[in-house]
Amino acid sequence: MNTKLFLLLAAMLIFASPIFAQTPISGADEIGKWVAITSGFSMAIASGLCGLAQAKAVASSAEAMARNPGASAAIRFALLLGLILIESLALYTFAIIIVKVKVGG
Amino acid sequence: MPEHEPWLTALFNDHLAGVANAVLALFGQKTVERPWSTALATEILVVAIIVLFFAFLRSRLSMDRPGKLQQSVEVIYEFLYTQSEEQVGHAGPQHLVLFGTLFIFILCCNLIGIIPAFESPTMSPEVPLGCALVTLGYYNFMGVREHGVGKYLAHFAGPIWWMAPLMIPIEIVSHLARPLSLTVRLFANMYAGEQVTLAFLGVTYLVAPAIFMGLHVFVSFLQAYIFALMAMMYVNGAVAHDH
Repeated sequence: MNTKLFLLLAAMLIFASPIFAQTPISGADEIGKWVAITSGFSMAIASGLCGLAQAKAVASSAEAMARNPGASAAIRFALLLGLILIESLALYTFAIIIVKVKVGG
Repeated sequence: MPEHEPWLTALFNDHLAGVANAVLALFGQKTVERPWSTALATEILVVAIIVLFFAFLRSRLSMDRPGKLQQSVEVIYEFLYTQSEEQVGHAGPQHLVLFGTLFIFILCCNLIGIIPAFESPTMSPEVPLGCALVTLGYYNFMGVREHGVGKYLAHFAGPIWWMAPLMIPIEIVSHLARPLSLTVRLFANMYAGEQVTLAFLGVTYLVAPAIFMGLHVFVSFLQAYIFALMAMMYVNGAVAHDH
């Protein structure tokens, strides 16, 4: 199964090779095209990892609240604080994208 | 083509351009044709609304028979009071001036963007930067006032004295990262909220944008609370006495 997936991935990458024949564009427009591609990937990676981290935080806090309902207030406070701080990490990536999009044009 | 100005900014620019240009000239900057920015005009409106609201509240305050407005505002006050006591300690409520101002100002700035004709001042990076720099100055000033200049700077060296050459740059960078993170967190949340609503408005028109605006209201409350909470934690770090 893993071999098949690997071969499929390799075939897809090899079939993409004609893109290297494209004539390069010069000037600021090229930077703009790079920004468009990389900003999509970087935001996706940042949001995905942020989602994973927040999921872990929510899961452990829900379990803790179930074990110890008396401490719900403190756990909820820690949960909210953690979620906001993790969220802000994904938003730093977004801020960089905004800066680069404004500069790159 | 100049982008379309909101009506409030156009109002300021049409009638008060001279005032803004005089201030710019006072500081040696070039005068511009339409000097008022949207963020500044909306900020002034927000401050005017808050001041009028609290002036109206002041006239309604009563010890024996508190009305509904007084009781609702007391809920907010109690919330901020208990949070500052919990975070900073017994002398926490002294600093309620900063925390309350930050919370209410940022909350109103965030929420005014929900009204269709207005744009949140916190959507421009200058406004959260201003709030973050005020917080930075305030907690350092409070730390110096509490401990004295020498002892406060000695805190930067960390607990073990021979690790100071390593600790001092790390501490300085982390202290400088605090206003950066406060600014970017607030600005990016508000900007992203508006952009997401706009994106969905371009696609469909009633339900999906409304859901995202509702989320934006929730995020506005949360971001205002987190800004005030971070300020409390930084003041706690500066003012606390280690036993």
